[in-house]
Amino acid sequence: MISAINSEIIPENWYNVIPDLPEPLPPPKDSKAEFSSINLLNKILPKEVLRQEFTFKRYEKIPDEVIEQYEQIGRPTPLIRAKNLEKYLDYGGKIFYKFEGATATGSHKINTAIAQAYYAKNEGVNGVTTETGAGQWGSATALAASLYKLPAQIFMVKVSFIQKPLRKIVMNLYNGNVVPSPSNLTEYGRKILSENPDHPGTLGIGISEAVEYALDHDYRYMVASVMNSALTHQSVIGLETKKQLELIGEHADVLIGCVGGGSNFGGFTFPFIPDHPDTEIIATTADEVPKFSKGDYKYDLMDSAGVLPEVRMYSLGADFVPPTIYAGGLRYHGASPSLSLLINKGRIKSDEVNQEEVKNAIRTFANTQGIIAAPESGHAIATMLNYVKAHKNEKKTIVVNVSGHGLLDLSIFQ
Amino acid sequence: MKNLIPYFTLGYPDNNTLKDFLMAMPVNKINYIEFGFPSDDPRYDGPTIRITHRVGNQNFNDGFYKPIFQYFKSNGIKMYSLSYYSDIGPKFEDFISYLISRGFSGIIIPDLIIDYYSEAEEKISYLNNKNFEYIPFFSPSTPDHIIKKIAEMTSSWIYYGLQPSTGIDIPYEIDYTTERINQLLPGREITYGFGIKTEEDIKQLMKNGGSGVAIGSYIEKMLEKNDKKGFLDYINKIRGVLDDE
Repeated sequence: MISAINSEIIPENWYNVIPDLPEPLPPPKDSKAEFSSINLLNKILPKEVLRQEFTFKRYEKIPDEVIEQYEQIGRPTPLIRAKNLEKYLDYGGKIFYKFEGATATGSHKINTAIAQAYYAKNEGVNGVTTETGAGQWGSATALAASLYKLPAQIFMVKVSFIQKPLRKIVMNLYNGNVVPSPSNLTEYGRKILSENPDHPGTLGIGISEAVEYALDHDYRYMVASVMNSALTHQSVIGLETKKQLELIGEHADVLIGCVGGGSNFGGFTFPFIPDHPDTEIIATTADEVPKFSKGDYKYDLMDSAGVLPEVRMYSLGADFVPPTIYAGGLRYHGASPSLSLLINKGRIKSDEVNQEEVKNAIRTFANTQGIIAAPESGHAIATMLNYVKAHKNEKKTIVVNVSGHGLLDLSIFQ
Repeated sequence: MKNLIPYFTLGYPDNNTLKDFLMAMPVNKINYIEFGFPSDDPRYDGPTIRITHRVGNQNFNDGFYKPIFQYFKSNGIKMYSLSYYSDIGPKFEDFISYLISRGFSGIIIPDLIIDYYSEAEEKISYLNNKNFEYIPFFSPSTPDHIIKKIAEMTSSWIYYGLQPSTGIDIPYEIDYTTERINQLLPGREITYGFGIKTEEDIKQLMKNGGSGVAIGSYIEKMLEKNDKKGFLDYINKIRGVLDDE
């Protein structure tokens, strides 16, 4: 474990990759002829978040109040050299993992939730609302809202709501109100339920419900991922990692992370883009949601109902209903536009792993390092293990982001 | 003198109303004029301008506008086409020849370096060889290195869009924006557009070194209402704001 006082490691600024992309980022566009869904963002996002969404500034000052809360919830998170795993794999190189599971809510999601709730609170709104897949984002939203004394309404993808009852309890403990999505709380949810009462739900439907709820109740919508502002807030992961590596004189040859919408991955890897041109960067996702290999790089809806703007991204289609894989956080049909562009231009590689590989990877990691990784993070670990096998003699320094712990996902091993 | 560049989508709201507005516009108050050729997919325009493209597509008639183009050219007003590459790409050279034949000085192609970046260099070189101005269109999401590269390939004025699309209300940061662009392109003529909100914003942009403004959505709303007086008052007002700086 790296030890240094927090103030040395937690950055003062977030990093925004937009000015450093190899090509201009295609801007969001309206999907309907006579209605501006871009303008709609004015009504559902905190103004400061919206400003950050479209800013070209490379660095954004992190408010002191947010840094204070970052410290309270466990930042900086540890960067740990996985010596036991290296030994187990008989690997001559080095493996490090950044452990975002060490935060209060057990995942990286709290990094942007705190920032967004802080900005929403400053605007004096009635509350915040969002969707959640595996429940990590919902937990983070509930805690962040609670820290700023805001009510939180959370729409949880129904299949996860059923599979992960403990997540609901966590959110309730943080004073969050959670319903399975599709729900009866919104017109869109009711429409879906009338067509299929057993609909398992998707993140896209959850987003649509949360946006509708925000508009109807003067709440602000909390952006879990995909949008640039969330990735900017998550850059705290990569900036800390860079600093921690620097303190021990290491250089990352390879960075590996998992991708749902792209926020933990972008936050972890993007800070390395401008000054680590030789670092190999690999985005891994679920075999069952093959957005990078079988999706198209195109303008597509972020949500199923088409309330939010279209963005150019790798997408399997906004109406894609993924199989009910256990890694709920990886079920999203698309990926953030900046990450999609970097993959399209070849700067970032992609990989896909299947459920069995992931389970085995989680077991291996638990047996060697003691950490039970979240199923989503298990994808990154599986890719890392495959990478080590394929590059056994190259003695590289590999850094993997373990975006969350899996202590509330143990049912997958039953 | 700061540049005032009004924008009109050809054919909106109908050919005669547009002609009426254009011919009433005092040419000594404007510097350049921007004509939008109706697009099937005006993807970086907001809802107001998008409607004008749809209507314009039905009405546009080159023969009708040929004498109007000649009128502006003979009055020394440089004309620029705003066209989407998604429309003109397949017949690019023919379209440029057409614009030259109608007296246009240059072209703004908002989607060229965003959606067709790999083709941009070749097309800009082609326009340079034709002595036809390519007006680089940049926005907050254009990376610094691309702003520099594209600007170096051209010598014309620059169009900087403050918003992701026209006529919408996303927060923008004037001081940071102008500081960035001034640092990247010192001494270059920069026109700001795409959703400028207030006269105060125009003043600030000019004070910070901007060379002019392009205005579109507001004019199109007056065209829709056939409010010629409101349009002329607006042109005079913006001219006054620019002249004060």
